[in-house]
Amino acid sequence: MKRVILGLLLCSCTMTLAAKEITEVVFTPQPRMVCQNCEKKIKGNLRFEKGVKKVETDLKSQTITVTFDADKTDKAKIEEALNKLHYEVEEIIVEENLKEEVK
Amino acid sequence: MFWPFKYLYSSALVSFFCALGTSAQEYVDTTQWKDLDDFVFTHRKSGKFKDDGPENSFMINRTELSRAACCNLGESFTTNASVDVNYSDPATGAKQIKLLGLSGSYVQLLTENMTNFRGAARPYALRYVPGPWMKSISVSKGCSSVKNGFEAMSGQINVEYLKPQDLSGEAINLYFDSEFKLEANADANFHLSPKLNTEILAHFEDRFMNHDSDGDGFVESPDLRQVNFQNRWNYLGSRYIMHAGFGIINEKSKAGQIGKHSHISEGRHPYVIELNTQRYEAYMKHAVILNKEQNSNIALMAGGSYHGLGASYGYKGYGVDEGNANVSLMYESDFGRTHNLSMGLSYNYDYLNQRVRTENLSEAARKKILEKETTAGAYAQYTFKPFDKLMAMFGIRGDYSSEFGWFATPRFNIRYNPIEMLSLRASAGKGYRSVFGWAEYNYLLASGRRIVVENLNQEASWNYGLNATLTFPIGAQTLKLDAEYFYTRFVRQVITDYDSNPHILTIGNLRGKSYSHTFQIEGTFESNFGLSVTAAWRLNDVKTTYNGILMEKPLTSRYKALLTASFSTEMDIWQFDATFVVNGGGRMPAPYVTSSGDFSWPKRFKAFPQLNLQVTRWFRNFSIYIGGENLTNFRQKNPIIASEDPWSENFDSTMIWGPLHGAMGYVGVRFNFGKL
Repeated sequence: MKRVILGLLLCSCTMTLAAKEITEVVFTPQPRMVCQNCEKKIKGNLRFEKGVKKVETDLKSQTITVTFDADKTDKAKIEEALNKLHYEVEEIIVEENLKEEVK
Repeated sequence: MFWPFKYLYSSALVSFFCALGTSAQEYVDTTQWKDLDDFVFTHRKSGKFKDDGPENSFMINRTELSRAACCNLGESFTTNASVDVNYSDPATGAKQIKLLGLSGSYVQLLTENMTNFRGAARPYALRYVPGPWMKSISVSKGCSSVKNGFEAMSGQINVEYLKPQDLSGEAINLYFDSEFKLEANADANFHLSPKLNTEILAHFEDRFMNHDSDGDGFVESPDLRQVNFQNRWNYLGSRYIMHAGFGIINEKSKAGQIGKHSHISEGRHPYVIELNTQRYEAYMKHAVILNKEQNSNIALMAGGSYHGLGASYGYKGYGVDEGNANVSLMYESDFGRTHNLSMGLSYNYDYLNQRVRTENLSEAARKKILEKETTAGAYAQYTFKPFDKLMAMFGIRGDYSSEFGWFATPRFNIRYNPIEMLSLRASAGKGYRSVFGWAEYNYLLASGRRIVVENLNQEASWNYGLNATLTFPIGAQTLKLDAEYFYTRFVRQVITDYDSNPHILTIGNLRGKSYSHTFQIEGTFESNFGLSVTAAWRLNDVKTTYNGILMEKPLTSRYKALLTASFSTEMDIWQFDATFVVNGGGRMPAPYVTSSGDFSWPKRFKAFPQLNLQVTRWFRNFSIYIGGENLTNFRQKNPIIASEDPWSENFDSTMIWGPLHGAMGYVGVRFNFGKL
């Protein structure tokens, strides 16, 4: 009986873990990120947004890549958080960007 | 078990572990288009960096400083294997550092690459730089560049303050500990234009109660109140850069038999130690960029300070009005990708108008002592970098001192990477230091010993060093192994002789050999899941000749073993830090035989452990940290000799080798308004 309960518990945990949807979105900011201070400001603030798992910035390509738990937040909330830091952002869609790279 | 349930159970177990392993990685990957160069590893930012140049140096940044309370510069090395911090004596509360087993006096202390805190300011310099003001600390071991002068005999520490051009905003830090010390720090940046920035740094500390845990009648730490203020400016043009600023320090300290339970000898006054300090300093730096492609620039740096100290140790006392002015003119340029040349001129003036009373009698006369020194010099430094694997730096200085005449300072540093993972360094060079005996050693008046200061020579030493660093990437992790050896040989040295006579302390010139051998190995593991672990072991062999006999230097640990770990959760929201240190035993100054036939104190002190822990939680606009120091609750027993009669010639409060207070807890909070 103990093993049955343990098995059921494991199943439910598995389902919970498996159900986590980690999503990634790439933005480009306006105004541009000029230096490390801008990157620090974005990373330092976004990390406190609920559901955000990872924030990467790149000055050369002017991109902000945010990895987040889609159960806890969404692109709109992350965009709003960046707006509060006085950045207007535009999402970069992967297919379009691949075309840019090919060019 | 019925077979379907067995099957279900096993499947559940397997699925659970698979899900656990993949839950962090199951995401929609939109990054495949990125070039490899743009990829950023999500590993925890290291707080300590080895410098890439030929000098054996490393930098401690704010990440590392956040691992401990780090109230001031003296407390910023608790997680570091290379720098030892002596425990503060109960008379003055001053903390001293040791590098390569040698006194902190042989470490040149710079603030933003300018020499600072000389003479009477030197013993207390570490507490004049509040922790929250610092952006980073660079530590160079052995002889370093000749650009900053001739004084780095065992190494150099350069403090970089928070910059006016950093993110604008304000921050406030509050700290309180179980030793009843309260601290408040504030910093604010203002960007007045795209090129002109200013910042204000303010610090206040006060200890409003004190402990006498061992019941010897003396409080463990002084009642100390300090107010410290700086205003720093910079102008960052495309061709012209200017830095300027000024600072003020006011400090009052009281220690000794000031506690509620101090037992005063009959017919005697309480033995009290008081220090009152007033310091003003100002600096300016101008740089003109002549050619950006060749990194050519010419710079003028100038600074000045006034340091006033009034100190009383019972009825003994010391007072000084000290002035310093220094100017440097430097030119530097690359010649192609292989050669770099730096040349410069420097001038330094020290003036000390001193009063000393060496007798413990209220009616005893004060002796006036005036000391002045002017030093002017020139240097040239050539750096050769034929390819990335090799960098060599040759430097030579010629200086003239109004007191000691001409002297030359040659220095050589080389770095070679035979393979990418392995870095080899070697260094050799000379260093010098002028000693202002009473200014630097007046705290020894907190003793019944008669203090004798001879006519002191300029100190001179040769330093040689070897270092090997191996970096292994292990998947996304990194393992660094570091081994080094330094040998310092003193040609001339000022020594404090505790041993020749237990009732006299002589500050005089070395007559014989004096050297230090230091061997250190260190391993650091940095993971990509927030964990960083460092283990290190260092052996010191430091010997000096006292009264014709070569002896182990007293009050110096023979070895140090350190294990420190730091763990940060995802997005660095929580941070956990732990540091465990074992300081080896060492020799005490020669004891005398008391009337009961026993030695006045043990001949040696034993090894002792120290444990520090800290937890930090970061929030959007503030962070809170809670920690403890000396959680092994180790305390030096009987630190004050003859505490029952501080007016006797046997009294001595200067022979400190371990902590005086036991386990200590602290809490702090840092608020950010606009800053990170």
